[in-house]
Amino acid sequence: MNTPSFGLDDFLPVLPAAILTAGAILLLVSEVFLGSATRTYQALLAVVTSVAAGALAFSNAFLPAHAVLQGYAVLDPFSSFTTVVVCLGTGLGALLGAGFLKHRNAERGEFYALLLFAAAGMSLLAMSAEFITLFVNLEVLSVSTYALTAYLRRGPRPSEAGFKYFILGAFAAALLLYGAALLYGATGTTHLSEMAAGLGAAAKAQPALVACGFFLVGAGFAFKVAAVPFHMWTPDVYEGAPTPVTAVMSAGVKAAAFVALVRVFLFLGPVFDPEVVFVIFSALAAATMVVGNLLAIPQRNVKRMLAYSSVAHAGYLLSGVAALFAPATVAPKSGVLSASATWGADSALRGEALKGLLFYLLAYTVTSLGSFGVVGALERREDETKGNAWDLDRFSGLAQRRPFQAAAMAVFLLSLGGIPPTVGFMAKLLVFRAAVDAGLVGLAVLGVLSSAAGVYYYLRVVVYMYMRPAVEGMQTPERQWTTEFALAASALAVVGLGLLPGSVSDWLSRAGLIFGQ
Amino acid sequence: MSAELVLFWVFAAAIVASAGGVIIARNAIASAMSLVACFFFLAGIYVLLWAHTIAALQVLVYAGAIMVLFLFVIMLLSLTESGPVAQLSPSRILGAVGTAGLLAALVGALLRLPKTLPTWVSDTAQVQRFGTIKEVGQVMYTQWLFPFEAVSLLLLVAIVGAVVVAKPRI
Repeated sequence: MNTPSFGLDDFLPVLPAAILTAGAILLLVSEVFLGSATRTYQALLAVVTSVAAGALAFSNAFLPAHAVLQGYAVLDPFSSFTTVVVCLGTGLGALLGAGFLKHRNAERGEFYALLLFAAAGMSLLAMSAEFITLFVNLEVLSVSTYALTAYLRRGPRPSEAGFKYFILGAFAAALLLYGAALLYGATGTTHLSEMAAGLGAAAKAQPALVACGFFLVGAGFAFKVAAVPFHMWTPDVYEGAPTPVTAVMSAGVKAAAFVALVRVFLFLGPVFDPEVVFVIFSALAAATMVVGNLLAIPQRNVKRMLAYSSVAHAGYLLSGVAALFAPATVAPKSGVLSASATWGADSALRGEALKGLLFYLLAYTVTSLGSFGVVGALERREDETKGNAWDLDRFSGLAQRRPFQAAAMAVFLLSLGGIPPTVGFMAKLLVFRAAVDAGLVGLAVLGVLSSAAGVYYYLRVVVYMYMRPAVEGMQTPERQWTTEFALAASALAVVGLGLLPGSVSDWLSRAGLIFGQ
Repeated sequence: MSAELVLFWVFAAAIVASAGGVIIARNAIASAMSLVACFFFLAGIYVLLWAHTIAALQVLVYAGAIMVLFLFVIMLLSLTESGPVAQLSPSRILGAVGTAGLLAALVGALLRLPKTLPTWVSDTAQVQRFGTIKEVGQVMYTQWLFPFEAVSLLLLVAIVGAVVVAKPRI
């Protein structure tokens, strides 16, 4: 019997997740022994916990990439950076949730506890290097988000959203697990690195089995990141969930799922068939960008419009993923074209694509949290069961009624549209530059064109806020300092990172960003 | 034909028959009981594969706990026998075609399996120890410690989530 031995080094990477879990348990216990009626301290406790976890993950990010915990997890700057982004999103989401729940008299420790549990799941998912660990951590984050989606059950919409998310999420998880089981059957291991070593031989012996496993795993991830044609659940779930939860879902859940997808396919894709992987991700990216933007155009419901826009942003991210697997020979940097195409981008291009992806995740996290935060701040409790709670008319004349919120929303919408000097522009620039350098000019052009279409529906909201008179009888939303603080911080980050992206993007350019590359 | 093979065919035929019973029975209770029988025979297959722990868990968890929940729900809903008789409708025909296609694909895939299946473990004695409770416990608490701990987090989250969703008012 081989007794495992763990050192301090093994626990360092899971420490952020452990802090988040401890904070969640503390919040659950605080709910039991609670005396006072005001519970703003719970949101602050959640913020402090995520800041502590994020700081620790930040210090981990400077360690070289290596496998830990018997190879079930890897500590690399890639996963640590994701944890920082996730903690940032969770902290901002908790602040947005404080005002939102207070207005609805629904502040409970369980809400913040589930947020922190979800963040712990995301952090662990980002570092999983083995299929069973990956699946369990994906479920930790999914189960917490299912419960958060159904947290406020007023009117039919939240129940529908929670149930739909649960059923479709379970279906996606089953697909992923089925695919992983087939790949295990083909190679006899669930560790990604060992699987990559054995997959080449297995693909020759049993091509159908390996291909089925690959497609099922890919479909499972495509569900989680809401890529077209697996995006059907997104608008209903995003609309029905409490708005701060929608914000966290669109930022953190998507970031963690993307990181896990990149990790799995970077290990297995090149061994299996880089050409097939490349074609599939390019097709997914093109379809997701175009369909997401087209479906967002006719929406008058701003929350639903932002849901479709999050589908479109998944498409921009997927074009970055496609650049990871682009054929190396057509890349301009690779020199003379050889007759036989070698598939799989070279390491410089791959580094550029990874940099673009991670920067985009950070940019989208601050932007999306901010925009959903303003939507949530404008919502009125009485209107929740009505159909027009998020109608464009709610934004008319916001610039006169709440100049700060209108200005912040304008900044977020410009960033979503990819207009300088916001962070959304820099992020799109990095991702599309990686795509162009990898030879995916067509995909990059499609991305730019579809984001130009996106500018229309983002700017429409700005027009309503600044150029339309307020509708009579529309009540001005109450001010909550927690919400305003979160909005101010996000807006500062959006503009600051847009003007000075250098520090982050330089750091992301370092070598050895991801384990095993 | 070895005794093992005979047992396999007995269990396999019983599984198919009881699984058919689940969808053919008009009485919901009879359908649920067929499912119990199906789970039991499946446990027999697990024993033949040297997976004693999974066989025991199959009987305890599926045939025991989960089926009791099924029966509770059926009795709470007080389903009667007079359900609608299956009628041909476009969606049913589509479903039948889809099922037949899936069956054909699975049979095709099975027929194309190589005659000699890959063996990753050559040591027969190790294969026979593999599924015992002792072996599973040892592997789970040493080699698979991290995923095991992650599962404990998952269970905690599931309990908290279930309580939050089931609370009458928030």
